[in-house]
Amino acid sequence: MSSHGNTVDPKKTVLWDAEYHGHDVISTRSLGFFLYLLSDGMIFATLFAAYGVLSYSHNYFGGPTPSQFVHPWYTFTQTVSLFLSVLAYGMGMAAMKNRNRGGLISGLLGALVLGVVFLCLDVHDMTDLARQGITIATSGGTSAFIILTQVHAAHIFFGLIWILVMVAQVSSKGFTTDTVGRLLSLRMFWHLQAIIWVFVYVFVYLWGYIS
Amino acid sequence: MQTSRKKQLAGIWGGPALLGLWASTANASVFWLFDPKGVMADTDLYYMIVDLLTMGAIVGVTALLVIWFMWRYHKGKNRGSYHPEWSHSSFLEVVVWGIPIIAVGFLAYFAVRGTFELNPYNPTILARDTQTAGKPVRVDVVATDWQWLFVYPQYHMAVANQLVLPEHRPVFFRLTSTSVTSGFFIPQLVGMIDAMPGMRTKDALESGHVGEYQGIASDYAGAGTSWMTFKTRIVSQENFIGWVHKVQSSPAVMTESGFNRFARPYINVHHRVVYFSQVPSGLFDRVLMEVMRGKTWPVPPQMTENMVAYIQKQSAEHRD
Amino acid sequence: MLVQLPGGWNPLLGRLALDQIPYDNPILAPLFVAVVIGTLVMLGLITYYRKWGYLWKEWLTTVDHKKLGVMYIIIGLVMLFRGFIDGLMIRTQQVWANGPHSSGVFGAVHGYLTPFHFGQVYSAHGLIMILLAATPLLVGFMNIIVPIQIGARDMAYPYLNALGLWITAAAAVLIMISLFVGDFAHNGWFGYAPIFELQYSPGVGVDYWIWTLQLTALGTTLGGINLLVTIIKMRAPGMTWFRLPIFVWTSLSANIIALTSFPALQVALGLVAADRYFGSHFFTAGFGGNLMLYTNLFWLWGHPEVYFVILPAFGMMSEIFPTFSEKPLFGYVTMVAASFAIAGVSWMVWLHHFFTMGAGPQVNSFFSVATMLVGIPTGVKVFNWAFTMYRGRITYSAAMLWAIGALFMLLVGGMTGMMLAVPAINYMVHNSVFVIAHFHSMLLVIVYAIFGSVIFWFPKVFGFRLDEHWAKVMFWLFTAGSMLVFVPMYMLGFMGMTRRLDYVFNPAWHPYLAVMEAGIAVYCLSVLSFVMLLYVSIRDRVKNRAEADAWGSSRSLEWLTHSPVPFYNFAVTPHVNARDEVAWRREHGLDGRQPDRYVDIHMPSNTGMALYIGALTFVLGFALTWRIWWLSLLALVAIILLMVIRSFRGDDGYTITGAELERMEKDALRNRTRADGKYVTDGLGQLAGAAMAYSRNSPPMGGNSSSGSQSGI
Ligand code: HEA
Ligand code: HEA
Ligand code: CUA
Ligand SMILES: [Cu+2]
Repeated sequence: MSSHGNTVDPKKTVLWDAEYHGHDVISTRSLGFFLYLLSDGMIFATLFAAYGVLSYSHNYFGGPTPSQFVHPWYTFTQTVSLFLSVLAYGMGMAAMKNRNRGGLISGLLGALVLGVVFLCLDVHDMTDLARQGITIATSGGTSAFIILTQVHAAHIFFGLIWILVMVAQVSSKGFTTDTVGRLLSLRMFWHLQAIIWVFVYVFVYLWGYIS
Repeated sequence: MQTSRKKQLAGIWGGPALLGLWASTANASVFWLFDPKGVMADTDLYYMIVDLLTMGAIVGVTALLVIWFMWRYHKGKNRGSYHPEWSHSSFLEVVVWGIPIIAVGFLAYFAVRGTFELNPYNPTILARDTQTAGKPVRVDVVATDWQWLFVYPQYHMAVANQLVLPEHRPVFFRLTSTSVTSGFFIPQLVGMIDAMPGMRTKDALESGHVGEYQGIASDYAGAGTSWMTFKTRIVSQENFIGWVHKVQSSPAVMTESGFNRFARPYINVHHRVVYFSQVPSGLFDRVLMEVMRGKTWPVPPQMTENMVAYIQKQSAEHRD
Repeated sequence: MLVQLPGGWNPLLGRLALDQIPYDNPILAPLFVAVVIGTLVMLGLITYYRKWGYLWKEWLTTVDHKKLGVMYIIIGLVMLFRGFIDGLMIRTQQVWANGPHSSGVFGAVHGYLTPFHFGQVYSAHGLIMILLAATPLLVGFMNIIVPIQIGARDMAYPYLNALGLWITAAAAVLIMISLFVGDFAHNGWFGYAPIFELQYSPGVGVDYWIWTLQLTALGTTLGGINLLVTIIKMRAPGMTWFRLPIFVWTSLSANIIALTSFPALQVALGLVAADRYFGSHFFTAGFGGNLMLYTNLFWLWGHPEVYFVILPAFGMMSEIFPTFSEKPLFGYVTMVAASFAIAGVSWMVWLHHFFTMGAGPQVNSFFSVATMLVGIPTGVKVFNWAFTMYRGRITYSAAMLWAIGALFMLLVGGMTGMMLAVPAINYMVHNSVFVIAHFHSMLLVIVYAIFGSVIFWFPKVFGFRLDEHWAKVMFWLFTAGSMLVFVPMYMLGFMGMTRRLDYVFNPAWHPYLAVMEAGIAVYCLSVLSFVMLLYVSIRDRVKNRAEADAWGSSRSLEWLTHSPVPFYNFAVTPHVNARDEVAWRREHGLDGRQPDRYVDIHMPSNTGMALYIGALTFVLGFALTWRIWWLSLLALVAIILLMVIRSFRGDDGYTITGAELERMEKDALRNRTRADGKYVTDGLGQLAGAAMAYSRNSPPMGGNSSSGSQSGI
């Protein structure tokens, strides 16, 4: 492999590449963030596995099971608000393509408000359950239920902080490599959280309600 | 059965020469795993030898090969010729993938066969044993922090920290634990099985060798694990009957609250053995259910923070 | 919502109270005093020699992948030493506490450690060795070598790289603090349900264990992402996939494992934390919990983790064997395939760690066969190394000796692993010291590969070779120690001795335990010889000055640039023409050729931010351990704030002009050809400065002598 006799002409071989400027910053960052999201996805996959293991009837320890305490219609409003939030974000990104800073910021603010709505609905739901005595300490089953949903909610919370930071950065700095790159990463993040919510909604709320 | 296994071994492998060598230089009874005294442990050893010889052959040849290369291609010694570019050979590629694949295929066959033969829930090797004489004995094993309680439901009695079994009768265990996970292990009779709180596992053994064998708590279960040992005595069937009568006539009875007292954390530094007559039936299932319902036997903080003081306190309480 | 605690708690200090400091412990108290004095002396020396500025500018705030790598390796070596001291304590307890008539001191019934303390020692030993010694050592080498091997100027994210280092350092500090403030966990390095639940482990030990592991998981995940992106995105032109050095391939496969498996650990520990802090019932025996869930989740990570640490070690061996056999690696393509086969199969074998839990024979059979499959690609690797030596010209340098030692360790560990993989055998040796001996054989493969790499790559990083004589002395002492400790351990396994015994009940085992203790003494000598090795090598560093190609037969790209590597790695990005580029250039008479044109390059700036955030993660871990809620919250908010601030500031980096570069390069070449030691000044600080010549804050200007002494080349 390494040697080919004298076929190499020392004058013609390229040994250095002064013009090589390496990688494109945004795509490199996006790849890294994508890999992070992969590991984040693994976290949820593991949590779903734990939920699956702990969702047999004996795991509820004779206490309430999801069919008794989840309200798919109520939670559907959460689904709607999160999806609208993603939509708003997407519209903001479309505005960014047109270099429309105002459009982008209003898209982000829309995503922010709808995300806050999602969280408020979640908090209301949780306090409601707590009032009925359904907490993380009730049984193995409710532990899994609450951890899974609240880890997702925590992701939404951090996403909202991030959106807020981006609103500030875009208004102060405009479209730089940094801000645009971050907006792209944030878009991936926000979409992933919505996708994971679909799984949460289907497997925890719908399926839990039926079974 | 046991001897036929060994003959078969000798037939296939031309005699476990290695093992023989080892056994003659070392005191075999020190190497508990090479000195099995029961059907289960015997079969375990059989598979160990198969694996050891197969892998030993391959690994040994590989090691010799490496040593030979090291010797032959030592720079400056001019023993082998130097081919600075040689780095590929399709033939060798096939060999280096082929040998391990074949070997793994061979070992996989034995691995699967052994797993079924020694399945602790239903060891087919026991069912096939021809030397069995007599009804199975049932023993319910309850591991506490840090003692073993062996309940003999057929005889309504229990023994703490000692296991006595008749020869040539299959023994079927059910195991659970009151507090944390522990491991049940008698090296010369049967391999390990977990004993877990709120769960039931099973195991089985049979032995034709009268004698006394060491039992060990093989999984770390907290501070007292190292002392959580028990002697296992295999006795003749007559002696077993006699022993059962002795236990049944012992004064200590095990009631439900008595069990709760027994199961409190206790480090068995002095290898205390206790006999209990009149054990209520269903004790095992009740322990299982209670733990599933959330009963715990918490370890007092001073025990983990200051072990010595705890042992002193314990000795004062129990005067042992 | 928070659980009721046994013992005291107050809002200000949480569970922390004065009596948590074991000042009355006869072992810890003197150790504590020694550590405090040692730290004070260190700080005093730094102040005396006025090195704070240097330390801050060159090391604490650096984002240079080589310096970060060096710091990873220093952390790893220090923790390896701490782990060894734990090992020494374990062995001493067992040889002493043997038989019912053995004596006891310091309040222990037998030996000198109480059971609870003994449990902490091996738990800390296992955790430290795997996650804070082996992992940082390997990550350190990947950090230093991978970017140079692919012709990059740095990692894809230099700042993230620094962050990963400081989080790892935070984890190391956290577990060291547990020695002196409170206790550590006694549930083994992998933890057991439900013994780590509050009822059975009421102290803070398990909490230390949780947060140390969480921090290492975080640090490793960040590092893994960084390496993956670096390898995918930052390769020099011409560096196609199938020209990558094997070490890069194994780093790639290892980090894929890390990225996908660490989340399982994070979740498993997060759920343990939920049980302990919020009273949930994931792993409790009652209330509908499932304790087997923990075991599954842990080993779902735990098994891939062992391949995460062995694969880079395989990569290191694959670099050392060809260099000292003066021949390309045999079967490059199958080597790559084997690495990925190992990584792939590593996902399907986790249940082999608990065959004895009573799963059905079908399940056990499946995992048994899957486990054995790993033997196939591993065997291919072994044979490929053997055939690399075949028809070669082997030099038995110290690095090569360590690599060969690793190979033999692998044979032993692999053979015993294949035994463990058979349930019928596993039932007899699971949880016995046979398992301990198996995995120490395997983990010693890593230690051997690491010491081989230390010797192999030292000249690349520091510009001079380590002393061969002492490196070999250390090799033989270490090997003798390993034999004396682990051969008897295998035999004890066949005798039925189980693991984690703080009191060894069978006096018949005593002779073996005594031999092992002798092995520990030999190990101590090997540590001394390591110190001697460093001393002698530093003393003779002028004599041992290394060329760009330190071994004369090196093959991959890192040997193209100067030794020590300048902070920009390559003044001009190399164009790669072949696999084993350096060997290729040598064979075609193209070595020593320098670029004819230099253009401006862009480098990232230093920042203290990573250090601050790392320090805050330590505060967070400590506060959570002791349940000091206000401090935890404060630390968390501060971390987020710092991240936001950093994102506002950004990093513009700075530019080195082509002219400047050319001057520095010419300088380096002149110094290299002179090689008379004129520019080597004394003092360890200077030496460390030489690590990465031409520190970026003081790029040498022209040829005047002061710059030479500053750069120390
Ligand atoms: C990478 C992992 C790793 C490594 C390298 C080691 C290395 C060693 N281990 Fe470790 N060990 C584990 C991982 C490791 N171990 C794990 C995971 C467990 C299980 C824990 C549990 O049960 O939960 C364990 C358990 C374990 C036990 C089992 C106790 C039991 O359960 O009965 C014992 C007993 O002897 C032991 C001993 C040793 C010894 C003697 C070494 C020696 O090989 C050490 C050799 C090292 C040196 C000699 C140091 C060399 C250092 C330098 C030269 C650097 C010096 C630097 C400075 C001075 C700055 N170990
Ligand atoms: C770097 C670390 C490392 C590596 C590489 C391995 C590699 C292997 N391990 Fe090991 N293992 C550990 C670290 C490691 N292990 C640790 C830390 C534990 C216990 C943790 C604890 O409990 O605390 C453990 C425990 C452990 C167990 C559980 C034991 C028990 O608790 O009951 C098992 C069981 O199957 C096992 C098997 C294997 C196998 C089959 C391999 C294989 O990958 C080996 C493959 C190699 C070869 C086979 C040799 C080379 C091949 C040839 C020469 C070709 C010929 C080969 C064939 C024909 C197959 N290991
Ligand atoms: Cu394992 Cu129940
Ligand atoms: Cu494994």
